[in-house]
Amino acid sequence: MKHLALAAMLGLAAIAPAQAQTVVRHLHITSIPAEVELMNSIAADFMAQNPDIVVELPFLENEAFKAKLTTLLQSADAPDVFHSWGGGVFYEQAAAGVLRPIEDVLSDEAKANVGTAGISAFTAPDGHLYGVARDVSEVVLWYNKTLFEQAGVDPASMETWDGFLAGVQTFKDAGITPIAIGAKDKWPAHFWWSKLVVRLAGQDGFAAAARGEGDGFAGEDFVKAGEYFLELAALDPWQEGFLAAGYGDASGYFGDGNAAMHLMGDWDYGAMKDNSADKNGIPDEELGILPFPTIEGGKGDPTDTLGGLGGVLFSRNASDAAVKWIEFFNNQENQAKYAADAYYIPIAKGAADVMTNPFKVQIGQNISNAHWHALFFDQALGPNVGGVVNDISAELAANAMSAEEAAELIKEAVDDSL
Amino acid sequence: MSSVASGTGMEVVAATRPRRYVDRKSLIPLLLFLPPSLILFTLFVVLPMIDAATFSFFDWNGYGPITDFVGFENYADVITHRNFGTAVRNSLIVVAVSLLIQLPLAMWCAIALAERGAHINLIRVLFFLPYMLAEVAAGLIWKFVYDGNYGLLPAIGGAIGVDMPFVLGDKLWVIPAIMLVITWKYFGFHMMIFIAGLQSIPNEVIEAARLDGVKKWQIVRHIKIPMIRSAIVISVFFAITGALQLFDLIIPLSNGGPSHSSHTIVTFLYQFGILRMKLGFGGAVSVLLFIACVIVALAYRRILFRVEQN
Repeated sequence: MKHLALAAMLGLAAIAPAQAQTVVRHLHITSIPAEVELMNSIAADFMAQNPDIVVELPFLENEAFKAKLTTLLQSADAPDVFHSWGGGVFYEQAAAGVLRPIEDVLSDEAKANVGTAGISAFTAPDGHLYGVARDVSEVVLWYNKTLFEQAGVDPASMETWDGFLAGVQTFKDAGITPIAIGAKDKWPAHFWWSKLVVRLAGQDGFAAAARGEGDGFAGEDFVKAGEYFLELAALDPWQEGFLAAGYGDASGYFGDGNAAMHLMGDWDYGAMKDNSADKNGIPDEELGILPFPTIEGGKGDPTDTLGGLGGVLFSRNASDAAVKWIEFFNNQENQAKYAADAYYIPIAKGAADVMTNPFKVQIGQNISNAHWHALFFDQALGPNVGGVVNDISAELAANAMSAEEAAELIKEAVDDSL
Repeated sequence: MSSVASGTGMEVVAATRPRRYVDRKSLIPLLLFLPPSLILFTLFVVLPMIDAATFSFFDWNGYGPITDFVGFENYADVITHRNFGTAVRNSLIVVAVSLLIQLPLAMWCAIALAERGAHINLIRVLFFLPYMLAEVAAGLIWKFVYDGNYGLLPAIGGAIGVDMPFVLGDKLWVIPAIMLVITWKYFGFHMMIFIAGLQSIPNEVIEAARLDGVKKWQIVRHIKIPMIRSAIVISVFFAITGALQLFDLIIPLSNGGPSHSSHTIVTFLYQFGILRMKLGFGGAVSVLLFIACVIVALAYRRILFRVEQN
């Protein structure tokens, strides 16, 4: 009997710590297997140091994530921590009260780690800090040096819009697909419109239009952006069947060496390899980055960049343990691992210093030198206006809508949501 | 399948039902079996329907309390939306193709395959197989078939020297391409219903007709089809309501594109209501769809009833 009681007590003692464990669920959208491995290993390190916390890393695919998140955040199944691109979607989540303010919980060290840009990106209009910035990204014009040589196009000649269009035509004449685009997903097309707007309207013009001032998005610069986009589309520069191609298809098409250029975020460096048929993609020495063509009379600063400032948000019921996990995940040492493998450019102070990948180093410099780092328009403007921006961009790429109509549709959506 | 075939026998049973309720023998199974389905139906059909109808009068992004009452504004937005007309047109095309191509095809196959035999069974299973596939899986399979770079279709086109278009990226071809998949996916289901009906026809009737020298197609026209009328009635009903609610094949195939040209009413709802976080707008679409379905169901019953009386 005594033995039994002892055994029971031992049994209880063994169970007790397990019951005291806090589970942190971090919902991510990382699909590259090696990157997921890295994330798992960081979580394993963290759990070894914090036996009372269990980190779970559920995954949702990009599009499914966006569609499911609204419901998920208001259900009992809400993750503690989840990926965010900031911007309008984040503001709506904050206003709805589904997030947890963390300014009092997050350590000063962790705050300093992400810098002022990182803090302001995840501070909602109500003044509370709801998340931690993780990475910066930039949309750049990737190009295939081999194909440029084959067609005899000088990359330097592409720096102005007219030169760019001439170069595209040269590729067409040489029978090479000038540009890969995943227009089925629409957001890859919206990068073209966005880059043109960054050049033409600049930071102040964009901010004024987003506030609905004056003619808003129906203003002259935005109509012009559509017209320039149509000029390009009229050359039929995209791969065959681009309207049926998703981002992954276009990325693979470029990675297989079938198109000369691809306007895409820096993450495509890894994704392009993963999406290519042989999983190797374009070797580094044949890959290059072109500056987006400048436009005469444009109000944007030549250093302006377009991209993201991504991170994680904490949901309403997130525990302190969740904040602790993110502090660990986002520290310099762990983020340096991401930088070393060139998955993304970490925002954590000093983490990007170990980057050896020349493309990522260049992009990192672009962003830190930028006068304005414009956030992805479809995120910055919120789901509704952003959705319309994506729509009209795909239409413009297909040369199926006039620039005036496109501009008018965005303005309508902005007026509707103001 | 026999329960399907006796579908229109319901009215006859209903007439004798009131008396049976008093019968204690049938009361116990009633109390036992009705509540589970009634609760499920209420929880997952009636309540969401009431919810959606409520949303449709509010401007709501899915977060927080519903406060912003806008009256019929969402309905006006739906009706005047530049892509709503296309979505309705496409849904009607699906209905038409289901009725005019899919069902006749299913009937033709059913008549050819209603006999018994090992090889016939094999063909039947082959035709029925697509129906058993998950919709999303079927959509993805066909997306690969249609893929202009690596797909089966351009390979076939190449073999016969025809340059095939990227059908899913082409406004002109995307609808026929989707219709082909729908027909392929669902005709086996209707064929099975018809086969079940055909097999319930007494052999003597056919035999007698044959002895009287009735030609083969006349047997089909004047004996077989009239005798499986109830199966056809059910099939037509399924085809119409299924077509109006088509969603999960479209998403992997074309996602409503290119340029929103291949939306059905439900993918339209998903794209502009749910993904754009305008749940009031989505609610309005769903209410309109619900009304359409109810009208179809009631009108259908009505028409059939009238035909039956004549």
